[in-house]
Amino acid sequence: MFAMLPGAFSLLGDQFKDYAWFPEQASTFAETNDWLYGVITFICFLFFIPIAGLLFYFAIRYRKPKGAKAESQVAHNTKVELIWSIAPSFVLIALFYLGARAYLDIRTVPEGSYEIGVQAFKWGWTMDYGRGTYNPELHLVVNEPTKLTMKSSDVIHSLYIPAFRAKKDIVPGRYNYMWFQPTVASEKVSEEELAKATQWTKESGQGWNYEKWQFTEHGYRFFDLYCTEYCGTNHSEMQTVVVVHETQEELDAWIKEVSARGSDVTPEAWGKLLYERRGCQGCHSLDGSKLSGPSYKDAYGSKRKLQTGEEVLFDENYVRESIINPKAKVAEGYAPVMPSFKGQLSDDDIYSITEFIKTQSSNTPVATPATTQPAADESAAGETKE
Amino acid sequence: MSAGSIPSGAQIRDPGYPTHSENYLTNSKGIMSWIFTLDHKRIGVMYLIGVTCAFAFAGLLALAIRLHLLSPDGAMFKGENANNIYNQVFTLHGAVMVFLFIIPSIPAALGNFLVPVMLGAKDVAFPRLNLCSFYLWMIGAVFFLMALLGSQLDTGWTFYTPYSTTTDTSVIAATMGAFILGFSSIFTGLNFIVTINTMRPPGMTWFRMPLFLWATYATSIIQVLATPVLGITLLLLIAERTMHIGIFDPEYNGDPVTFQHFFWFYSHPAVYIMILPAFGVISDLISVHSHKRIFGYRFIAYSSIAIALLGFLVWGHHMFTAGMSSLTTIIFSALTFTVSVPSAIKVFNWLATMYKGSISLTTPMCYAISFIFLFTIGGLTGLHLGTLATDLHLHDTYFVVAHFHYVMVGGTLVAFIGGVFHWWPKMFGKMYSELFGRLSCLIVFLGFNLTFLPQFVLGSRGMPRRYATYDPEFQSLHVMSTYGALLLGVGLTVALFTLLYSLIWGKRAPANPWGGATLEWHCTSPPPFYNFERAPSVGDPYEFGNVEWDSEDERYVSTEPERKLVPDEQPSEVPAH
Repeated sequence: MFAMLPGAFSLLGDQFKDYAWFPEQASTFAETNDWLYGVITFICFLFFIPIAGLLFYFAIRYRKPKGAKAESQVAHNTKVELIWSIAPSFVLIALFYLGARAYLDIRTVPEGSYEIGVQAFKWGWTMDYGRGTYNPELHLVVNEPTKLTMKSSDVIHSLYIPAFRAKKDIVPGRYNYMWFQPTVASEKVSEEELAKATQWTKESGQGWNYEKWQFTEHGYRFFDLYCTEYCGTNHSEMQTVVVVHETQEELDAWIKEVSARGSDVTPEAWGKLLYERRGCQGCHSLDGSKLSGPSYKDAYGSKRKLQTGEEVLFDENYVRESIINPKAKVAEGYAPVMPSFKGQLSDDDIYSITEFIKTQSSNTPVATPATTQPAADESAAGETKE
Repeated sequence: MSAGSIPSGAQIRDPGYPTHSENYLTNSKGIMSWIFTLDHKRIGVMYLIGVTCAFAFAGLLALAIRLHLLSPDGAMFKGENANNIYNQVFTLHGAVMVFLFIIPSIPAALGNFLVPVMLGAKDVAFPRLNLCSFYLWMIGAVFFLMALLGSQLDTGWTFYTPYSTTTDTSVIAATMGAFILGFSSIFTGLNFIVTINTMRPPGMTWFRMPLFLWATYATSIIQVLATPVLGITLLLLIAERTMHIGIFDPEYNGDPVTFQHFFWFYSHPAVYIMILPAFGVISDLISVHSHKRIFGYRFIAYSSIAIALLGFLVWGHHMFTAGMSSLTTIIFSALTFTVSVPSAIKVFNWLATMYKGSISLTTPMCYAISFIFLFTIGGLTGLHLGTLATDLHLHDTYFVVAHFHYVMVGGTLVAFIGGVFHWWPKMFGKMYSELFGRLSCLIVFLGFNLTFLPQFVLGSRGMPRRYATYDPEFQSLHVMSTYGALLLGVGLTVALFTLLYSLIWGKRAPANPWGGATLEWHCTSPPPFYNFERAPSVGDPYEFGNVEWDSEDERYVSTEPERKLVPDEQPSEVPAH
């Protein structure tokens, strides 16, 4: 019978896991913050329990039949009133001081932090790891102070990592900065589990399902990263994941892996990955349904009606222009909301996306000489024109 | 229960009942007599009906939101447009609740009815302006409905730029609505300031005013000073959208954070427009139903004014994560803490008023007790948000949602309902069922806590607000919250039907059913259209010594000790000066 106890406890633990007050503490801010939260909550109870207790006690104790006179008609007691006006002020000053001190730590970015760029757009994230490597996932190194330099393509967003207790708005038209130091490295799941998930994903033909697997396609467990400033239709889906690596080498290896199309990856497959990772699929469907942007289904090779009334051929150049300068030729019936990806996609990336779009259309001419294109161009599209 | 006795020989003062032709509800007939009425009481009643409809509408939207959040992928709205519909629904819920319900609820509905009567005056200072402000409210409401039926507003009630300057929904109609509602609010505030300043009867000094008037006065100051800023901000927003003047939109070299500063410069004081009148209502309710003089009258009165003034200095605490400089942020945090002191003073004073009182647990008193309980939670959780480090974690999460609902719903709404129950006999001359009234209070109290307590935990666990879909780990708390919202809906429905039922089948109300000492209890229920024949003599508004329970007629009456008359006979000798 006692053998069942651990099982029972873990069951109980699972029940309570749902009611935990905080997410895991995974940055240097978390401990201070949660401690402060605890202190404030304790002070709240210190005030609240007597207030609520007296409230109900008085309501019952001094309940009298109609017409009975009150036992006292004291109008005021200046001494008592001054005490309860001034005494709480000391508590408030203490809270203010503790909060402001911790806040200054959070605001002051340490020198020599590891830097990552963040581009927020409706409705997704692009992390810039330098040297033309972009990825929606945020990858960090444990115990390494990291500074994010953040900008927005369209409206205000806010980057929030609950496990780090860190949040900062991203305002268009300026750079906002934040920093943190992760303290917990992400676990790696077993090879079998990863293989199973990869196999499933391949067969289903869908993108990677973070929610289903609870680890990334490279097999890492992750922390959630949310947008917390309302930004329109898919605000609630503007989420990504944070992975914390054990060592810088591990991070570099991951960066290398995602930085460009490997020689064994077809442009179509790479284009599909980019379509999923870089936020295209938030607005452009593959099944013909109308989202914020036009669907890719049967788009390639068709005539596209523009807002201006003109008609253009949906070809390679149109795709390229729409990625680099989306507001130039806006399709009829759609708002010009797409952000520019100038400088964020390499020539090969754009080529791959075009190839992917071609696969979604029945209008595509059959023989496209894919071999003539260079694979994995280092330079990004915008910069080559200089 | 009754224990009162009227001292023998004492003179009873009771105005009795109004005749049919005196009663303000019946003295003139026909729809035109309401549409063009200048009677502040009728305008108050029309406001009451208007804000109740707005509340019912926005409340149903709230239920739709909660039902949608029953499951992580959204349970209520389906299909491709689900997220859009959810965003529109929460926007309308917020905008209608704030602009059409909470801001006008107590000041415009109860305030219009009560301010002149409490002053012993015949009407407000500018009756036509008063009617005008009601019609502005109606027009504003129509604009909001147009936004709803037009292209569906989805900006959130805060209209943050550049989202609001780029979305293709009907931002302009909605902002025009808010702009017009702003004028309605300014006119009401202006009217009350002039009325209270100039029309107090002889003998009513500032410190012999009922505390409800103090609260109304403080509120009016904020309305007159802050609302124009909102008007300007919204006009600038419209100009930015239509002419791209380049003030808020970074695409035209504007700064979106400027909009937030402008917006919260109004909207934070607006929070006190919403809660200060509730403080006034509760001060009166607690004192009357405890049959005891309010404790610390001056502290309560001054704290209302202090809140009104300090409220102007703390708007920055809505923007702690927006990227203001560290110094600014810290100053705003310090100022924010100062606002909590006057609110705390009020809670302590209300408790001290109940101490050694003679408490009748009537429906209004039950609501007042609920208010103190809920508002205290709302106020204390403000400490987590005023403290900078913890705010960075909690900002824009469900913790904030729970915090302001505790203040706005647990505070203002509960005080409003308590106030309506308290003054209902005066407004319509009918008594309602105490049993159902108290039952509604119990259900509202339980339902409310079940709705919003789980949201504090959701927030500290990191659930962002304004999310149409969410991670499955949050589901159990969301489900609890939704059940609570349904229960809250039941409680509010019970309250509404209790009141409506009384209109037809309720007992006739005496002039003074609760034992109040302020002037409104000195005229009949409902008051005659002229309120008072002549300016009444003003006593201490919280002196209950001469208010006695008359168990025979189930009413409170004011008594005067028996007076010995001067002997009739002439003195035998006439003095020679």
